[in-house]
Amino acid sequence: MAVGLRHFTARAGNGSGEPILDTDNGEELVHVQPSVSVAVGDRAPESPGTLYITTRQVIWLSELDREKGYAVYFLSLSLHAVSRDPEAYPSPCIYTQIETEADEVEDESEDSDSECSEVLDLSKIREIRFIPSDANQLDTLFQVFCECAELNPEPIEEGEEEGHNWIFSADQLEDEAGAGDDVEWHFSQNPTNTIGHSNGHHDLASSVLELQINDQRFEDAEEMEQDSDTGHHHQSQQTKYLGSGMDRCTSSRYWIGF
Amino acid sequence: MLFFSYFKDLVGREVTVELKNDLAIRGTLHSVDQYLNIKLENTRVVDQDKYPHMLSVRNCFIRGSVVRYVQLPPEEVDIELLHDATRREAR
Repeated sequence: MAVGLRHFTARAGNGSGEPILDTDNGEELVHVQPSVSVAVGDRAPESPGTLYITTRQVIWLSELDREKGYAVYFLSLSLHAVSRDPEAYPSPCIYTQIETEADEVEDESEDSDSECSEVLDLSKIREIRFIPSDANQLDTLFQVFCECAELNPEPIEEGEEEGHNWIFSADQLEDEAGAGDDVEWHFSQNPTNTIGHSNGHHDLASSVLELQINDQRFEDAEEMEQDSDTGHHHQSQQTKYLGSGMDRCTSSRYWIGF
Repeated sequence: MLFFSYFKDLVGREVTVELKNDLAIRGTLHSVDQYLNIKLENTRVVDQDKYPHMLSVRNCFIRGSVVRYVQLPPEEVDIELLHDATRREAR
């Protein structure tokens, strides 16, 4: 899915002039607002057009120029707001900020776009305003923007779940060299409370549950080095601890990771 | 869902949301959702010289994924409560 503002020219040929949507993938039109101008970046507002808000993106199509249109996915909209302050902008409008690919770079190129330049690099545009001719529609538009933005959360990739680094105790903070200037979280060290302490196994940073198994395999001292086919190794001497003194036991336990 | 619940309790308080693009916006927390999308009211930009275009917008919807920090008033933060809640969440 493309990041940032794009040109959009795909209109239905049936005379309605409506944008062609990705209906195969469930995109639906949610709201249509005619008589809306658009101001891209710092440029002057462009001649009235129609705003189409879908479940995936915001599309503006020019009324006068059938080849002109802009679109941006909700995934790229960092924020949107109702702007009524004339000092901020002369006309009441929906102000939106667009997350661009080069967002880390302080890019001032949008200011250098002059009126005469028709070739506009949309991918660098950071702000866009939608100016309805009827200012009373602003709150409705804002609401629709909110509802559709909520339909577009960040897609969760499988790999991200493993990237969680939950800090359970101050021990982990000390072991991570140069760990974080963000020291907002201070956990008091409570040696009597072993819950949440990872006992030095920092690779097990994801949520784990320690399971104490009163298993017959642990009972008999003679039964050593058995059941190695399961992949767990356990020594029968370390048996029957029920939650205390866990720091002595570095092996012989079952880890269940979630 | 811990921070969703936590922010729900902060609705009505003044917060400052700092975005990943360095913009900092102060306002009254109107609502928050499960993705930590944030709606602010009576917003004003903290560093007005840097972002003049956003002067006093009335309502603002901020996408959760672009938030870097949410700065809270210290008197509103119960460290012990958060401590216990995060411990419970981690189990």
